[in-house]
Amino acid sequence: MTLVADLRAVLGDEDVLEEPVELHLFSKDASLLRGRPACVVFPEDSAEVAEVVKIAETHRVPVVARGAGTGLTAGASPTEGGIVVVTTALNDIDIDPANRTAWVGAGVINLDLSRVAAPHGLYFAPDPSSQSACTIGGNVANNSGGPHCLSEGSTTSHVLGMEVVLAGGQIVVLGGPAPDPPGLDLKGIIVGSEGTLGIVTRALVRLLPIDPDVRTLLMDFPSIEDAARTVSEVIAAGLVPAALELMDQRMCQAVENWLQAGLPVDAAAVLLAEVVGETEGVESQAQIIAETAKRNHAIDVEVAKSEEHRALLWKGRKSAFGAIAQLAPDYYLHDAVVPRTRLVETMKGVYEIADRYGLTMLNVFHAGDGNLHPLIAFDASDPVTYATVHRAGEEIVALCLQAGGALSGEHGVGVEKRDMMRSSFTELDLDAQARLKEVFDPANVFNPSKILPEGSRCFDFGGIKRELPDGVWV
Amino acid sequence: MGVTYHPRHISWLETEIPDAPEHGLAIAPRTLNDVSAALRYAAERRLVVQVRGGGTHSGYGDPPPPDLVMSMERLAGVERWEPDDLTIVVGPGARVETVEAMLAERNQSLVMPERPGDSTVGGVVASGVSSLRRGRLYATRERVLEVTMITGDGRMVRSGGRVVKNVTGYDLHRLAVGAFGALGVIVSVCLKLWPTPPGAATVLLDDVERASLITRPLAVLETDSKVMVFLQGTESEVEAQTDRLGGRASDGLDWPEDPWGEWQWSLRVPSALTPEAVRRIPEHWAYLAVHGVGEVRSASGSLDGAPEVRAWAESVGGHLVKTKGPATDFDPWGALPPLLDLQRRLVAEFDPIRILNPGRLPGGL
Repeated sequence: MTLVADLRAVLGDEDVLEEPVELHLFSKDASLLRGRPACVVFPEDSAEVAEVVKIAETHRVPVVARGAGTGLTAGASPTEGGIVVVTTALNDIDIDPANRTAWVGAGVINLDLSRVAAPHGLYFAPDPSSQSACTIGGNVANNSGGPHCLSEGSTTSHVLGMEVVLAGGQIVVLGGPAPDPPGLDLKGIIVGSEGTLGIVTRALVRLLPIDPDVRTLLMDFPSIEDAARTVSEVIAAGLVPAALELMDQRMCQAVENWLQAGLPVDAAAVLLAEVVGETEGVESQAQIIAETAKRNHAIDVEVAKSEEHRALLWKGRKSAFGAIAQLAPDYYLHDAVVPRTRLVETMKGVYEIADRYGLTMLNVFHAGDGNLHPLIAFDASDPVTYATVHRAGEEIVALCLQAGGALSGEHGVGVEKRDMMRSSFTELDLDAQARLKEVFDPANVFNPSKILPEGSRCFDFGGIKRELPDGVWV
Repeated sequence: MGVTYHPRHISWLETEIPDAPEHGLAIAPRTLNDVSAALRYAAERRLVVQVRGGGTHSGYGDPPPPDLVMSMERLAGVERWEPDDLTIVVGPGARVETVEAMLAERNQSLVMPERPGDSTVGGVVASGVSSLRRGRLYATRERVLEVTMITGDGRMVRSGGRVVKNVTGYDLHRLAVGAFGALGVIVSVCLKLWPTPPGAATVLLDDVERASLITRPLAVLETDSKVMVFLQGTESEVEAQTDRLGGRASDGLDWPEDPWGEWQWSLRVPSALTPEAVRRIPEHWAYLAVHGVGEVRSASGSLDGAPEVRAWAESVGGHLVKTKGPATDFDPWGALPPLLDLQRRLVAEFDPIRILNPGRLPGGL
């Protein structure tokens, strides 16, 4: 039978799409890189996912897991063709309030989990800017971060267990509610593996108690240096705020023009800080942050006066990428990390690169952990600009690596940064990672050609020959 | 490549290890090349290598006697400490106590075990043990940012990076946590540090239930004689929380020692079952329960009661792990973990002859 017929025999007709317009919809994630899937499937439980994997292996085609498609590195783009496995029908949530955990289907939307957990006084800490759309499965695959991971860590710190479909369609539960399960931490290695080792169908996640009180501060500074120094001094005072977000002037202007969130448009940098905890704690912490900011020449320190006010301040930050639409039809968002102490000099270099290429560049970043998100607004339909944007992007990442940083802080590698992996790792490092991939996925069925550049396996004596289909941009 | 170490060449590395095997070699490499060469030497001769930090976690598993003990004591330097970046890079042999004392001068912490004894950073990472503060500040695996290892066949492999947030590539450095060196000898570790706020108090309570008055305390511990709540934050915050709790409070954090005995155990259960785990600990066992985490560290003079505790733990999705004690038929880990064959194949990619700390992991791996 054909691939589609085999899949329909298991999933039914409706859960297997093959019309060109349908395939086009699922041919890429939020990155700019498109693939050509053979079909798109919507399994409803892990047993169906397992059947899909077996069929893929029989037909020797890739399986590419996809949540909401908000990824920015083509991790969910079917660049090698094959079956796109959309996880959105895996959407059950089972909260265990006593243990502060939940079993969550891969297709559950991040923010929905926190909404469902809220009546129990609990929330899910990882909060990517796309949290109203992105799925838990995607968060697990990319080890997603978000503003609040400064104090609570990225997704990996919140995944206690998982149900995963591995090669051969084997369904396994790894980890569990008890701490430190014996044996190698396979669950930990699957988090962040971008769907290349298997397909996570459910995750057992940690939930945190909602803090009784919160203070959100908005501070504007005459220079980025002053804002960065404030961040350093706050941490040196023993504080780890729940978030420390920096936006540059161009970004504030773009957001303000769109949202009127009350962001200062004449300051060089705006720092958004949030502290959570019990009332006595947040009061005293907010005071320390405000004093530190004033000592570092803050023009104004505004403390959110109500929950609505706080939501508005955050909306300004979380809508940053949406605000770009008024400037240009497309944007290219980078995600790199530098040691926090190198932030200011790196920013200067980043602006220089943008100016040199005459590009519109805006910046918003997680200042507490040195995670930069330089954003270039442009029109992708102009091939010349498109090439320039890519060149500038590569220079930005190279600059961050020179400063002792990393390729990606929270978006992942996917295809986008795959070939830059060689600038971060030696051949032996990449070989070790390729061995890991082979142990899990010897037939190279799961999301092939992601993360690792071609030829990562140093001592490859034969094995599977990987061929690129026509028209694939690499 | 191609360097072969003969015993006479390796002799200059020899060191005194208190419990070194009678007929084996004991070495303490000074450089990464030494480690690599010594491992190739051992692999060629199929020698069982015991990698040794402070020897404080050598009771895990059921390892065969080693032919070669490799002490990491000479790879103990602080390579780089960046207080403003909250990162530190240290050699595996660095003593936790020494590093913590250094960090305390700038109000920072590794968030590793509070009573480390001779434990080394490499040993804590390799055995995957965590701080008593893990309910608030997370486990050791969440602090490991980068690991460099020498594999069992002498390759140097690095994973992660020296920044506090990073998703570049597969997290082999996290896989190394709790792997007991099966993937390689850890030769360098970068850790995420945590700033220590100025206020701290230890409050003694009669009833563990009262601890729930605090939203996220640093730790809530219980022994057979007392319940302790550990608080940390700004001074006014700690003061207010101490008042709310009542009980007897003292300034600072007065961490208890782990229970000590001929047999030592780590009972791990879903966190809400910690009080029940305490009730199920046999009367003659000493214990230290970490509420909110689901761990009860305990010690006994014999095996009595252990099978019953393990049966209960496994019935609720937990484990009873032997962390120290004589070798017997009672498996050190209990029920086998899933995907043991995959674990075996994975280890074989890093240590094909299986010379590094064999027998430490579950399933005799």
